[in-house]
Amino acid sequence: MAARDTSKPVPFASAARGVFDLALEGMVWSGRTVVMAGLLALPVVLAIVYRLVLAKYPAARLSPLDLYGRLVVFFYLRFALPLTALFYATALIADEVEGKTLTYLLTRPIRRESILAGKFAAYVVTTLTLALPAVVVTFFTLMTVSGRANLGGAVPDLLRDLGVAALALLAYGALFTLLGVFLKRPVIPGLLFIFVWELFLPSFPGYVPRVTLTAYLRSLVRHRPAQEGVSEIFAQVLPTALCLEVLVGAVVVGLGASAWIFSTREYVMDQ
Amino acid sequence: MTRSRLVVLSSLIVVGVGVVGALGALYLDPARAAVGPLPAEGLALPGDTQFVMGFDVHRFVASPFYQRFGKDRQGQGRPPGFTELEEKTGLNPERDVDRIVFAGRAADKGPEGGVVLVSGSFDRTKLSRAIETEGKGVTYRSHEGTTMYLFREGQGARSGAVAFLDDDTLVLGPRASVEATLTNHAGGKVPMRSNAALVALLESVKPGSTFWAVGDQSVLSRLPLSVPGASGQGSITLPPVKSVIVTGDLDPLVAVELTGEAVDNKAAQNLADMVRGLVAMASLQASQKPELKDLASAVSVTTDATRVHVNVRVPYELIDSLSGKRPVAAIGGPENR
Repeated sequence: MAARDTSKPVPFASAARGVFDLALEGMVWSGRTVVMAGLLALPVVLAIVYRLVLAKYPAARLSPLDLYGRLVVFFYLRFALPLTALFYATALIADEVEGKTLTYLLTRPIRRESILAGKFAAYVVTTLTLALPAVVVTFFTLMTVSGRANLGGAVPDLLRDLGVAALALLAYGALFTLLGVFLKRPVIPGLLFIFVWELFLPSFPGYVPRVTLTAYLRSLVRHRPAQEGVSEIFAQVLPTALCLEVLVGAVVVGLGASAWIFSTREYVMDQ
Repeated sequence: MTRSRLVVLSSLIVVGVGVVGALGALYLDPARAAVGPLPAEGLALPGDTQFVMGFDVHRFVASPFYQRFGKDRQGQGRPPGFTELEEKTGLNPERDVDRIVFAGRAADKGPEGGVVLVSGSFDRTKLSRAIETEGKGVTYRSHEGTTMYLFREGQGARSGAVAFLDDDTLVLGPRASVEATLTNHAGGKVPMRSNAALVALLESVKPGSTFWAVGDQSVLSRLPLSVPGASGQGSITLPPVKSVIVTGDLDPLVAVELTGEAVDNKAAQNLADMVRGLVAMASLQASQKPELKDLASAVSVTTDATRVHVNVRVPYELIDSLSGKRPVAAIGGPENR
């Protein structure tokens, strides 16, 4: 077997694969994953409660599809997925810095971009592993409340929701990765972004919602649960093509900027 | 295999089984797949339907509009007749009816015209008994294994029919249309899918609307293309419209969005200008009736290539001021908003 030329760094793909394996093991088996899995599974619990208790009462005027739509829009897209992305993506590099283990990675003969690529891939796999089954189980628990009658018609919504959930994790993940490599303490700004910027700006009139990610994500799903106040008055549905362009653009720009900052930045470990 | 990969694989299996199961449900049961706001049962409607209108009863009942204007002003809290209807049939429209869909066909279809689908939770036995005992001149016969109740049978254009399409759906209308719908449903046929123009319009309806309507060129071509001028002299020629989509919500205000597709960009611009002109005329009347100023500002008109979007957002306070009377609920009920 030919020996690797040690004067050159390990090829990008091999290095990223190695970092991915290492990062995946650390991410999946962590306290963070237990908390996030619990958070993402909350709708499943609610769906079971609805199925066992609420659906039996005629007074419960919320249909299973309405409840599922509300969970997708208000829980997953507005709250759980951005939060999951925040806690995983900001930690991709910040954890290594805080644990003073970044030195071990940076002294390997691998390009810094491959470290980020491997870690981001591990983030994507971990978060999709947690989020998508929760959406699927919630969907089936709710949509089979009255047999198969309502299932077929709602299937396109499920497929669309899964795609949008994946896109949300990618877009928020790229943004929070950028925050993680740029700031020393990225969680507080990230929380402000989720609970102030992303929560209030979509309710503004005109072009203001277009500076948020959630406006594009919510335009991609078909659920339009009724809201109150200005949120309902100024609710906008943006064109699908524009939404996809902006979200893909956010992923590319976020990851590109993260890779550039990470590969050029001088990290000084506190002793 | 590492522990982490085992977790990922397990998740992949759950998602994979879910997606395959969902696609299986869609593939094996295509008739149940709804098109936009049209429920799956609606696909059994005649394929030559020219316009469809829908109404989400729960959203309507929960809206401030219903609280203000729909309820009985004598203080019973329900529209007149609902209590009697519930006693006779077990049907409480506010609680039991989910949605109403009306499908219209060409005027030359005469008595075979429109069909109404009512979806909800029905006490089928009680409702059937009520139809049999309360209705005068009601006869019934079986069609495709379903009991169809006929009203004024033998009176030609005036004869109507009602039948259960399934446990949750009633179909009402002229006998020929009801029979056609029952036949389609029983045979698993979905003729509405063949109406590509209408299906495309239905798919573009904003989900979750309280009411909606779509119509294609065939129905719009019957509308008059000229209207009398404001002074009574001459007339204004309306640009031809290929299709129209109307969606509306009633909470927290009355919001109606109308999208009309003109034949070309110029026609769309003309149509938009015409609507803007009407709004401007309303503004000019504001000196005599100040409420009209608010009404004019509640309407916005935009064009997007061949499409004209008209958005009307009317607060309930404005409706009250225009009607010139205070509704019962507005005086101070708990549901007043």
